[in-house]
Amino acid sequence: MNLRRISYTGSLYLGSAALVILCGVPLLWMLFTSLKPPQDLFAYPPRIFGRYTLANFHRLISETDFVTYLKNSIVVAGVTVLLDIVVATLGAYSLTRYRYRGKELLANMTLFTYMFAPIMIIVPIYVLLKELNLTNSHLGMILAYTSISLPFTLWLLRAFFQSFPVDLEQAAFIDGANRFQSLIYVVIPQALPGIIATSVFAFVVVWNDYLFARILLNDPMLQTMPVGLQDIYESTIVDWGLLMSGAVIVTIPAVIFFLIVQRYLIQGWGMGAVKG
Amino acid sequence: MTRTRQAIQGLLLFLPAFIVIFGFIFFPVGYSFWLSLTNKHAVFPHYEYVGFQNYAWMASEQDYWLSLWRGVIFSVGSIFFQVLLGLLAALLLNEAFFGRGLVRGIALFPYMLPTIVVILLWKWLLSASYGPVNYVLQALGLIQAPVVWLGEELLMASTIFVAVWQFFPFVVISLLARLQTIDLQLYEAAAIDGANAWKRFRYITLPALRYVLFVVILLRTFFMFTKFDVPWLMATGGGLQVLVQNLPVYAFRRTFRFMQAGEGAAVSVSLFLLLIVLSVVYFRTYRREAGS
Repeated sequence: MNLRRISYTGSLYLGSAALVILCGVPLLWMLFTSLKPPQDLFAYPPRIFGRYTLANFHRLISETDFVTYLKNSIVVAGVTVLLDIVVATLGAYSLTRYRYRGKELLANMTLFTYMFAPIMIIVPIYVLLKELNLTNSHLGMILAYTSISLPFTLWLLRAFFQSFPVDLEQAAFIDGANRFQSLIYVVIPQALPGIIATSVFAFVVVWNDYLFARILLNDPMLQTMPVGLQDIYESTIVDWGLLMSGAVIVTIPAVIFFLIVQRYLIQGWGMGAVKG
Repeated sequence: MTRTRQAIQGLLLFLPAFIVIFGFIFFPVGYSFWLSLTNKHAVFPHYEYVGFQNYAWMASEQDYWLSLWRGVIFSVGSIFFQVLLGLLAALLLNEAFFGRGLVRGIALFPYMLPTIVVILLWKWLLSASYGPVNYVLQALGLIQAPVVWLGEELLMASTIFVAVWQFFPFVVISLLARLQTIDLQLYEAAAIDGANAWKRFRYITLPALRYVLFVVILLRTFFMFTKFDVPWLMATGGGLQVLVQNLPVYAFRRTFRFMQAGEGAAVSVSLFLLLIVLSVVYFRTYRREAGS
């Protein structure tokens, strides 16, 4: 091993260490804060190791409305994803397996929606939902969320459907299957990993949203987690143990998401379709 | 199946998506244009057409121009450092070394976090008196006294930092994908011809990344200029909102704090037009450079 080789390897690990400190240590800090008893929180110098307890999580559940926010988030994100995936699967199937005029235009139109600021879409949606008496309801939220997540779920699924050959489908047609049967029995099973990854993706986007929930919901009992957590932050004397335990719970879907789609992310799957 | 029947069936399958995208995106955007020409209140249904009055009001309002300017600082600052850090990290993570998968995973993770978590976490890390960041910097002797990261002077810089932290993995993901497709034989051939590491980067890697970088910067521009939650949440509760107020935050406040939905819509529309102009200029510049 010559000197060059050593300095090359050394710089790789130095760079990696910097990245791990920058991205990993804050997350560990979040986790440790959530597990510390309040009296250890402001210990100076800050300590990572020491006594651990689940007291913060216990207080979060018993003293705040966190569980309500959690339930609301699960319901809203869950129903949105179901609706979203059904609509996007049909749309993507149409875009990749049928021939008609204006198809490219429809596909490009979905990408064009990236140009619109969320704030530009949400103000009119708020006004419209208000007239329909749908503000302050989960139904209104689900409709609004479906619309913001659909463009990129459609785009991602289209990429998935394009990536596998039509041979199997044609074989199914020869065997007498109709379009519907082929979609259910041939296309969807093949695209299932993609559909799952896309669903999780949409789930996280909806789960993480702050703006729409802030505008469309006034009733705290209907509120979802990001706004709920912000409200806990604003309404109490800042209690980092409590807040970080909430942050840890809100982060769990992101962790699951990450484990599922990491492989696709590195391959650059759906590049540019990632939103945020 | 005949061609017409096929077309009809295809269109029918796309119809639900079409309804959602038109009904809930294109229609609201069009409605936004209309609202910007009215004096609509955020709550009461009655309104009147007022022509370009909201735009005239906007142009005369100092807060508008200030928000535009702060939005430019926030966007340009955060995009520049996201791309720089993202490029360096992608080059690093494209090399083969033991533990690469783990480092990749950790480095991409901030992008998956909900913005509210990112903001609360960094408010805690950066807090002046008990924050670990100040502690570490003091222990290393880099600063003498605790720095007020979230105070008047440094709030914009801290907001940019937090945005870079959250979004640079987007750049890493996009660039890594392209880096992995570069033919390794190119590097071997160049090395045999005596090209050093810098030259190999300059003449092989960089040209290969050119198009991806173009798209990434374009998308980041859209996302950073329209970003609401980061500047909003960084400053709430402190009365310092105006220091990091960009156009989306300004539009939000006109609409929901001052209840002037017409004025808020005018601000959003101006942001949209600005982005259109920006992207046209950007496309042209790119095409000219790519052509030469």
